[in-house]
Amino acid sequence: MKRVREQRECLVSRVPRLQVLLAVSLIVIATAYWRVQVVQGDRYHGLAENNRLRRVPIKATRGLIFDRNGRVLVDNVPSYNLLLDRTRSNDIDAALAFAAEVLDQGVPALETAIERQADSSPYEPILLAENLTLADVSRISIAELEFPEFQIDVEHLRLYRHGSLTAHILGYLGEATEADLARDPDNYSAGDLVGRKGVERVFDLLLRGRDGERELVVDSRGRTRTEHGRRPARSGNNLHLTLDLELQQEATRYLEGRAGAAVALDPRNGEVLMLVSAPSYDPSLFTRRLNSEQWRELVESPNQVLQNRTIQNTHAPGSIFKVVLANAGLTEGTIEPSDSVFCAGSTQIYNRRTRCWLRRGHGWVNLRRAIKESCDIYFYHLGQKLGINRIAHYARLFGLGRPTGFDIPGEKAGLIPDTEWSLTHRRSPWYPGETISVAIGQGPILVTPLQVARMIAVLANGGRLVTPHVRRGSRSPLSAPIAVDPQAISFVREAMWAVVNEKHGTGLSVRLQGIDIAGKTGTVQVVEQKSWTSNEDLPEQLRDHAWFASFAPASDPELVVVAFVEHGGHGSAAAAPLVKLIYETYFRASDAS
Amino acid sequence: MRPTSAPLTLADNRPHLRHLAGVRWVLLVAALALAGLGLATVHSASSELSLDYLPRQAVWVGVGILALALTFSIDYQTLSKFSLPIYIVGLVILTAVLFLGTVRGGARSWFGFGSFGLQPSEFAKLSTAVLLARYLASTNRRYLRLRQIAIACGIAGLPMALVVLQRDMGSAMMFMPLLAGMLFVSGVRWQVVVAALVLALIGGAILWNFVMLDYQKTRVLTFLDPGREPLGAGYQLRQSKIAVGSGQVAGRGYMQGTQSQLRFLPARHTDFVFAVLAEEWGFLGVVGVLMLYATYILNGALVAVRARDRTGILLVVGLLGGFAFHVVYNTAMVVGLVPITGIPLPFLSYGGSFTLANFIAVGMILGVDFRRYVNR
Repeated sequence: MKRVREQRECLVSRVPRLQVLLAVSLIVIATAYWRVQVVQGDRYHGLAENNRLRRVPIKATRGLIFDRNGRVLVDNVPSYNLLLDRTRSNDIDAALAFAAEVLDQGVPALETAIERQADSSPYEPILLAENLTLADVSRISIAELEFPEFQIDVEHLRLYRHGSLTAHILGYLGEATEADLARDPDNYSAGDLVGRKGVERVFDLLLRGRDGERELVVDSRGRTRTEHGRRPARSGNNLHLTLDLELQQEATRYLEGRAGAAVALDPRNGEVLMLVSAPSYDPSLFTRRLNSEQWRELVESPNQVLQNRTIQNTHAPGSIFKVVLANAGLTEGTIEPSDSVFCAGSTQIYNRRTRCWLRRGHGWVNLRRAIKESCDIYFYHLGQKLGINRIAHYARLFGLGRPTGFDIPGEKAGLIPDTEWSLTHRRSPWYPGETISVAIGQGPILVTPLQVARMIAVLANGGRLVTPHVRRGSRSPLSAPIAVDPQAISFVREAMWAVVNEKHGTGLSVRLQGIDIAGKTGTVQVVEQKSWTSNEDLPEQLRDHAWFASFAPASDPELVVVAFVEHGGHGSAAAAPLVKLIYETYFRASDAS
Repeated sequence: MRPTSAPLTLADNRPHLRHLAGVRWVLLVAALALAGLGLATVHSASSELSLDYLPRQAVWVGVGILALALTFSIDYQTLSKFSLPIYIVGLVILTAVLFLGTVRGGARSWFGFGSFGLQPSEFAKLSTAVLLARYLASTNRRYLRLRQIAIACGIAGLPMALVVLQRDMGSAMMFMPLLAGMLFVSGVRWQVVVAALVLALIGGAILWNFVMLDYQKTRVLTFLDPGREPLGAGYQLRQSKIAVGSGQVAGRGYMQGTQSQLRFLPARHTDFVFAVLAEEWGFLGVVGVLMLYATYILNGALVAVRARDRTGILLVVGLLGGFAFHVVYNTAMVVGLVPITGIPLPFLSYGGSFTLANFIAVGMILGVDFRRYVNR
């Protein structure tokens, strides 16, 4: 075997230096302990004595939420929890057996609850069971002497009085996430319930108040002797919304069994009176911890119940968009109200045969008739003259293509296409034939129902953009008048009145005795139709979506109502009755008051 | 690893039983004394809990002593011979734990078996020490070449990176003193040390100040240490110092510390067990325990100095380096000299894998001593 002389001594010679390093470190450390224990020992001894104060939080009551008429939408109800104070336990097994018997569950379930929280901070009692019945509460309270470790804790749970009716607006609470804690450590601490969605989320800081604290003096066994001091909790503020519960109820009832959205807002100030998204969900599911199965069911439901269809789903606006073109054409001087176009039911544009929805054609139509009877041929020609970029410009003036600034978060921006968008997003030039589709609100153009309501509000209030909001009294000033000819706006308003109130108007079915309603129908094709197929012949999921957008009273509008019904067929058929119902309810109530 | 000439009085290729008498048993005595003290303190720190950790820790100490006997009986040259496969198996297990492990305290570094858990990173440190000892022994130069330093860093860096990925920062950090001790003893020119420090500082500073955005820094910090609580750290240190200080000179007496008995002090049976000891045994207890640690480490150093060959020296230095750093950092952290990180105190803190690994290390060190006359 080859023998190699090892360099051994140089290794050995370096070891003492490490020994010195260690000795120095230990001496430094011993000195630090000497300082803390001997020099400052008295001070720390005193602190240790004072450390016998135990801090117990007092939960603040969360603010209530009311509708515009003072009806309670969200309430707090007491719920009883069973806590286990480990410091007071003598015979934990007997206590658990007792609790298991009262609660009618197995001891292992309680033991896992304890294990799960075994690392919780000192003195924190462990949560054994939630939502006890009053009978259970009394049985456990009576046994207090025998089992001093049990405490009953009253917790206030959110009660959404109207359940799914207001779920999309109000949202729900959930346990604070790490992100919440990191974002605002002053207001949030672990285990807090915070607003997760909707109003509960946006106005969380307002609603939550501030938790208080009790300082208890505990003895060496951890038992409470006296109360040393307390800082009371500050309740959260109540919140008054602009919503009208009754409108909400009517629209929800109408939309039952369908998918759709309905919005009502006051065009004078942007107050949202109604915001309905169907189908909805039961927010009480979130009051207690959701199990993953329930969560999956909600998220994966084919109808996407968690989606707020008024602000999160976008669709083509259909013929409602014609009011934008009319304003654009008049303001730009592209057309005069008296100009007429002949509608034969179909025409040839860009070498393509395009149809009007009315197979037999409208004959000679001017702008007023084109709006009233929703003639497609008229607007094909107008769109061709304006071009996509001018159409997009006016659409944006009416607030489309960007979020409305609604105080409930999660809004979609929608899409208003132009040539630049086509180049940057599709990497292909805009095809002029598409302009023809956009002119009647089809093709690559997307809006939310709330955006449509805001657009209609501009017409209703004579040219100003509102900021929709649900919190009453929030300052939401109107925009300066938009750059559209006021005469164009009043012309279109009058034509919209004709839609509902004159013979051949597409919205005639909405007509109400005594109230002047103005509106516009819209239809969104789900599948492109090669010919005039009747919608009733199509399976439901291929049927058109129906829009109806309106305001009333026509002379001095105070309410804008927009309805959108998925697969509802032609605009006046499915969406119009909902709009009518809302006006009936609204004006009946205002007559009564 | 390779047979060498050495000052030998007795040449034999097996250690003789009569050499047992010459082994530094004081090392074992110190270790057992510390472990016994650990059991008592863990009991004091957790007896008021629904779960007393004493029986579990006692089981681990028992298993540890058996493991000690086993590793003592295996020749470290045999270990060294198989160090590469052992090391690779260690890497595979560390990788497996990333995918199959359970999460405790934010770190995915555990294999759970019912209520017991094993932390492979503790054993990876041992296998890394053995491979490093083998490699650095083979260099056989007065000073290491840069390439050799790089290879040694790679050997330690690979398992360390895997432990970082488990988000177990404290354990990952512990590969450093192990590596540093062994490199130092193997011979690193001071110019290299200075250059490395300067490069690391400059690189880190540039990255931190000019490249990384605030949210990235936060992300890095959170990634490195998910258990980090901005509010909790101050509380922990304050309670720890109160516990230590209120022990004063003679301590409050066993099971009498209010800080621990009243549970003001978090993590009192694990990373902060020394605060409990300081509270109940006072400054005298602290000095006594530090002296026990010094006894262990300095006697270990004697084993290193008289070891048979380079592998033996390096192995003992590596094991002791990691051990000493644990002791120094933990006791310094408890009294507030260094930032709080999850580094437990050997033999005193509750923790199965850690205790087991420390006993195995004792077995290895004693084994090196036992075989100091062996010649093959």
